[in-house]
Amino acid sequence: MSARAKMTKVSATRVLMIAALATLAFQTAAAQSNLAQTSAAAKPKTVGTANAAAASGNTSEVAKTLQAAAEAVGLARWSGVGGQHLPEVDVITTMEIWGSGTTYGQGQSYKPGEPWPAFKTDYHAALDYNPPAMRVEMTRTIPSAPGQGGAAPQHTFQVVRDKYAWDESEIGAGLVPGKGTATPAMDTANGRLLQLWILPYGVIKAALAAGDKTRISTENGATVLTFPLSGQLAGVMVKATLDAQNEVSKVETRADNPALGDLLTETEYSDYADHGEILTDVKSPGHIIRKQGGHPVLDIQVKMVDANNPYLVFPVPENVKKAAAR
Amino acid sequence: MTHYVRCSSIIVIALLLCLLPAAAFAQANGGPRMDHENTLPPTPVGPTPRTPDGHPDLTGLWNGLADNLLGVPNQMHNVGIEIGTDSTRDIYSGLQIATWPLQNRKRQNNEQSERAATLLRRMGSNRPLYKPQYWQRVKDLDANSNEEDPSNQCMPAGVPRVGSPSYIAQTPAYLIFIYPGQGGLIATQTSYRMIPTDSRKHTPLDDLDGTWNGEAIGHWEGDTMVIDTIGFNSTSWFDQLGGYFHSENMHVVERLHRDGNTLTWTATVEDPDVLLEPWTTTPRVALLNPDPKAVLPESLPCSERDLAHVVTKEHH
Repeated sequence: MSARAKMTKVSATRVLMIAALATLAFQTAAAQSNLAQTSAAAKPKTVGTANAAAASGNTSEVAKTLQAAAEAVGLARWSGVGGQHLPEVDVITTMEIWGSGTTYGQGQSYKPGEPWPAFKTDYHAALDYNPPAMRVEMTRTIPSAPGQGGAAPQHTFQVVRDKYAWDESEIGAGLVPGKGTATPAMDTANGRLLQLWILPYGVIKAALAAGDKTRISTENGATVLTFPLSGQLAGVMVKATLDAQNEVSKVETRADNPALGDLLTETEYSDYADHGEILTDVKSPGHIIRKQGGHPVLDIQVKMVDANNPYLVFPVPENVKKAAAR
Repeated sequence: MTHYVRCSSIIVIALLLCLLPAAAFAQANGGPRMDHENTLPPTPVGPTPRTPDGHPDLTGLWNGLADNLLGVPNQMHNVGIEIGTDSTRDIYSGLQIATWPLQNRKRQNNEQSERAATLLRRMGSNRPLYKPQYWQRVKDLDANSNEEDPSNQCMPAGVPRVGSPSYIAQTPAYLIFIYPGQGGLIATQTSYRMIPTDSRKHTPLDDLDGTWNGEAIGHWEGDTMVIDTIGFNSTSWFDQLGGYFHSENMHVVERLHRDGNTLTWTATVEDPDVLLEPWTTTPRVALLNPDPKAVLPESLPCSERDLAHVVTKEHH
């Protein structure tokens, strides 16, 4: 107990308990009032980023579905911290995901027709939706290939922010003189950025942003959302399947790949839970499987997620800016 | 009152206390303002009074919003998020954020509400840019803020974390700022600042003992009061949350501008020891108390009693 605590003359606990009960009564009344409003309320006005009202005939169905998906993963949350009558807002800005599993060497079969080589992988992704940015740190252990010896683990940091992409020799490389190297990797920017937008949260945000271009349908009894990405990912179509709990269970995209052309990427998400050490009520997939062109490229079991909008920054090193300007 | 306690969602009483102060104190200070339908800053009304020497007169009780205890601009606006009835905007980046009208809101229990609040308070994009070697430290301090946040130990908020003053008295040679002790987002003790505006120079930094509020000197730049402060300890955090630590070389420049019955406050933090570049807070707009008889209520003493009972890392 602090020295000041010893000085206090107030029986704080007693006072606080009484006041807490008063607060509860106040909140209960307010909540009842709000629920009464709910029952009499019209359907939601808009849901998208910039609240672009969808104009198609299924507008309200799309809006309802996206709200359900946003609430299912804890993205849409009440902003009552600033006042009792404030709306729900999208609260997810930054996040970290830790996992382990297997990644595969894309198009690096030891022999034609054989599966892509598999690497044991420790996976750590730090992401930001404002501005769009992502840092993927992977440690890949290369198992012995047929007829070959093993190799030292590869430790990589792949970063993207908006149109900038670079590889770091260590976290934050290239920002402080003498601290690591940042190697521009501009041709990977769109591919890296796509990883951000096909995460469940990115899917919901992007579908909202697409406004009246977002379509809803049913396939094999499951709800399917289809929408285009925008900005530097314009031209990429996303098809997202929701499970019975309105969680994003599968995402399919087609995007240009320098090596493989118009490539189908399929990502499956399952085992949703709050994986945070500090609980947030944000649900994250516990298992992520990704295939490209039908080949597995990633199979990760999520160990932990920090969804509490942790301090994550993605400043672009000067040499990367200069490389982009050339 | 929450400044005497910290929040753990597992400890129900502590949770209740986190939600308590606005109701308990604001009622005593002119009625609660928990009925907001937006977090937009107030629109200026009326003329800006001036002192005989021609400067804007900042004198007044700047707690007219009365929504966060003693009128400190509301928490969402402090983190740079403007919430309207059906739209939300990140002030710093301009990003429009998805918004669902209130009538569709799901009922939340206290635990859910507090977890949502923790996210909401961190969703703004205006983050100070630390040197990479400190990124993990900032995250760790925030994640462990129950133990690490000095305000949870009844320490002063310090400048600039203390924010915009609730009361200003302006004389030709001094400004007097009063910050009542309050709870809510952070725990702060009552503090005051006496800020000379007589063109004096700073004491050499090496001759100053670092303090929570530092050595402040004010001057006018046009109609804006600029307060330059050095001489800090390295114990305080420089924003309301986030684990934003600093060194003793921190230099803070505050700007206060009165427009009618509003007062806009910003602070720029320079600390080349730990930051890659200076960082400026999102502007906070305080409202003049319209009641000419209004006074600041007495603040209760700070008493930390919960830390020993915390069983998770959940926090504000």
